[in-house]
Amino acid sequence: MGGALTRYRVIAWIVGVALVVLVLIGMPLKYAADEPIVVEVVGTAHGWLYMLYLAATFDLGRRVNWPLKRMLLVMLAGTVPFVSFVAERKVTRELAARLGEQIPEPVAAG
Amino acid sequence: MPTPVVTKPTYDTASETAGRPGTLDAMKRLWTPAWIVRHVAMVVLVVGFLALGWWQISRAASGNTLSWAYAVQWPIFAGFVVFVWWRELRHTLRGRSTLASGAAAAPGEPVTPGDAASPRSTPAVRRPVRVTRVPATGGGPEDADLAEYNRYLTWLNANPGAKPGDYPG
Repeated sequence: MGGALTRYRVIAWIVGVALVVLVLIGMPLKYAADEPIVVEVVGTAHGWLYMLYLAATFDLGRRVNWPLKRMLLVMLAGTVPFVSFVAERKVTRELAARLGEQIPEPVAAG
Repeated sequence: MPTPVVTKPTYDTASETAGRPGTLDAMKRLWTPAWIVRHVAMVVLVVGFLALGWWQISRAASGNTLSWAYAVQWPIFAGFVVFVWWRELRHTLRGRSTLASGAAAAPGEPVTPGDAASPRSTPAVRRPVRVTRVPATGGGPEDADLAEYNRYLTWLNANPGAKPGDYPG
């Protein structure tokens, strides 16, 4: 399960960052400055990475026996800017407490 | 007022009436309010995603090259919805309804038949459970591999009918 959680955390972070870049940098550049390059690159990449996020979330939820509703909520959380980071922390803390294991914090946390 | 005494069945009565796929009982288990919501949600999402994909195709045809990628991605998301729906459906037909009970059993917790606290039918095929890891004794990578393989075989034995892909280790 530790491996599935790590995979979920990694892809959740990547997708979260891509989404924030897309919304906060790409969208203003495209619609205000008429420069669509960021949206074209990050937007396409985010679409494919979100699929990996779905797969990783599904895999994790299957292993830790999440109900369907929780799995879908975590998947949806990945579509909202910044909420994905909150969801990732919540999931990690809950599963760490359940396992009674030490989940390593991100580097330079706190 | 004394609480009524509920006698637990001493054997697994649920497994005798578990709905097999294709039986009327199986259909009833997929026609509960919660399942109707899932069926409707699946249809709505698939139709919506395919419509979005079609919309992206029309955008791509009119010159927006970025839309070609989205036109491919939306049908994949629709397929994923169908996949999750189908998996939950199969899971329900197999026996234990983790969805209806809301709270799923903790990993590693043994499935107790006739548990009054969580009334659920005991499945013919159980969910994958976490196997307690036994540290490999003796040195050498071969012993570790052998121990890992034995753990896998133990898990397979404890979960008849489970697929190798369900192995949680």
